[in-house]
Amino acid sequence: MTSHHPTSLRSGFVATLRDVLRDKGALMIFVAAPLFYAFFYPWFFGPEVVTRIPVAVVDQDHSALSRSIHRLALANPRIEVKAVGADERAAQAAMSRGEIDGYLVLPDDLKAHVARGMPAMVTVVSNGAYPLISKAVQYGFSEAVGAASAGVEIRQREAKGQSPRQAGESRTPVDFRAMALFNPTEGYSSFIVPAVALFIMHQTLLMGVGMLVATWVERGAAHASPMAWIGRWLAFLLPGLVSGLFYFGWVFWLYGYPRANNVAGSLVFLVLYVSAIVTLGSLVGLWCRDRERVLQVLLFSTLPMVFLAGFSWPPEALPLPLQYLRWLIPTTSGVQAALRLNQMGAPLQSVMPYLGCLLALTVVAGSFVLKFGGKPQGD
Amino acid sequence: MRHFFNSTRREVHRLGQSPWDLAMVTWVPVLAVVLVVWIFSSAIPRNLPVGVMDEDHSALSRQLVRMLNASPGMQVVDEFDSESSVQLALREVRVYGMINIPRDFERDIKRGIKAEVILRHNAQFATHSSLLQRDVRTVVGTLAAGIEMSARNKRGESAQQAKVSFNPIQIQSIALFNGSGNYEKYLTAAAIPAILHILAMTAGAWAVGREFRDRTLGQWLQHEGPRAVGAALLGKLAIPWVTLTSVGAAALWYITAGRGWDISGSLLWIFLAMTLLMALSLAAGAAAATLTKSLRTALSVTGLLTAPAFAFSGMSFPLSAMPDSARMWATSMPFTHYIRLQTEQLLMGLTFGASAATPAVFLLATLGLLGLAALGLVQARDKPSTWGAR
Repeated sequence: MTSHHPTSLRSGFVATLRDVLRDKGALMIFVAAPLFYAFFYPWFFGPEVVTRIPVAVVDQDHSALSRSIHRLALANPRIEVKAVGADERAAQAAMSRGEIDGYLVLPDDLKAHVARGMPAMVTVVSNGAYPLISKAVQYGFSEAVGAASAGVEIRQREAKGQSPRQAGESRTPVDFRAMALFNPTEGYSSFIVPAVALFIMHQTLLMGVGMLVATWVERGAAHASPMAWIGRWLAFLLPGLVSGLFYFGWVFWLYGYPRANNVAGSLVFLVLYVSAIVTLGSLVGLWCRDRERVLQVLLFSTLPMVFLAGFSWPPEALPLPLQYLRWLIPTTSGVQAALRLNQMGAPLQSVMPYLGCLLALTVVAGSFVLKFGGKPQGD
Repeated sequence: MRHFFNSTRREVHRLGQSPWDLAMVTWVPVLAVVLVVWIFSSAIPRNLPVGVMDEDHSALSRQLVRMLNASPGMQVVDEFDSESSVQLALREVRVYGMINIPRDFERDIKRGIKAEVILRHNAQFATHSSLLQRDVRTVVGTLAAGIEMSARNKRGESAQQAKVSFNPIQIQSIALFNGSGNYEKYLTAAAIPAILHILAMTAGAWAVGREFRDRTLGQWLQHEGPRAVGAALLGKLAIPWVTLTSVGAAALWYITAGRGWDISGSLLWIFLAMTLLMALSLAAGAAAATLTKSLRTALSVTGLLTAPAFAFSGMSFPLSAMPDSARMWATSMPFTHYIRLQTEQLLMGLTFGASAATPAVFLLATLGLLGLAALGLVQARDKPSTWGAR
């Protein structure tokens, strides 16, 4: 461990690398944690798309039409019909017990109303406490009912003498089609993991750097010349760049996440992102002055950082002061820039504001580090 | 009891001497919870930026653009006339979605030829894009229904007839338990206990792990037997238990009763579960510190177990859609069960009986972990060579 105050760039660099390699705790955080989380996190969201949500069909009509809707629901991949009955209260009770997350009610006047050209109403009930589940249930049943409804309408028009083609065409004057860009399957994992990777890189690197710098403070070895601090930062860049390349270059490929391959842009981004993190990490270490304290104060920070980064919760919905304050956290610029470069293939100049923000954070945090950690004290 | 109060007094003294330690069990949790409530204070996201590519420039297409703009969920920030500028705006995320109105839109519709409105949305921002899809679909549906109705009226069908034959089987969609689709309810209520869960296990790991690191285990536990050590452990954890539970209960009270949200279940039942979740998290932190004998490793374990607990709790991605092995992990995490109970009580209004197993299991698990930690502490106390790991 460093016990003297390095003064040159080279001595700062070499001493830091040596300390990283000798410190089991730091190695765990710099190397083992990013490696582990790369497999741990995507494990949960493996199937990507929400399918086979357990549902029930309440068929009070027992007609050919209600049976055909039931068959269409059985064939729908979003839902899995677990139970069929005629009692809506039984379905409600099953939902309360958590056995199903939605049900479809086909009322006993369904066939009669349709046959007489009167409005027929079926009801889809879903568990709104869980938005992704609720959406799958509503879509699944809507598709089944919509297909049956279209069949009825076309038959009615044919009966009125329109040709099948005309009947199909005039069914609705304006069609709506939604096309998913950049994440064409709309997979949950493809949405969440490329952004979460930025948080894993940020938190592991920030904690690792902070922990080592705090350890130096404990030993009275933190203060060093500006050149030596630059040497230290260059050494800290290495684990950050390695984990960045590991995620961008290998993990995203391994799981088949959308990649737009702006490789040069991603590399420029990575250097700036990691620079901002290591200077801020040094500041955290100087501030905490206690090796384990760094972990204690940072562990809970991930959750608010995720909500402020603007990918899972729209930044347009944040209170105004937070829309500005959130740029003090590197992950905000990091997620915005990395998604644009890696997943959407935006040109480098379009992420310049984010890169500028990271550079500004690096310069400001770096100058604070030099101010508070610059002058050797006591010797 | 003597051991309990001696240990509490010692902990109070220690907190008084360390502003950092005091902060982490008092005003830092308050600040964290306030931040979470603030983040979601505007409830439903409004005015997401979208672009329009109007290739028709007709009265009808302009009407559609006006209707899109009037929808509270989105804001048409720009109109585009070339495909390349559209591509760039989407790639640079200046807009989250692009609505395409095709050439001859109005003419086709008048002739009875089907026209198609296309929304291209950025699915990498899943929340934004699902809100946009819903809103644009609604606007286009409204426009289409208006056109269809007026066409049928012209042909002499009554409005009622027109409505029926437009769509013979109509669907009434009911999202039970959160009908308003209010994200604030959903996210704030889940994020508050999630962040306190992390802070509580951190506090448990810190309170016990610090004694290992600072080699003060002997001074803390003296030469007492397992029961006295257990009492000392309880006395130590009592302070963060009271403070963190109070913060959690106050925050949950504020976002529900305090804001006039008429919840369908029992708030008291949620408070009980919150109290036990805090106890279980503290006990798990203490057990992690005792078993690893290292404050640093105990904190790493805390991070592994609690930091992703929110993401794996089934609130966002359903448990039933996870692979079996991952679901086993998710369902062995206490937060998964806590949040299920909280949702059942806040949103679904289930009876006590439906949620009763969770508090019972939490209590057993807490006692088990405390027992484990107490036994480990007795052993470690007698082996000073194992103290002081960094």
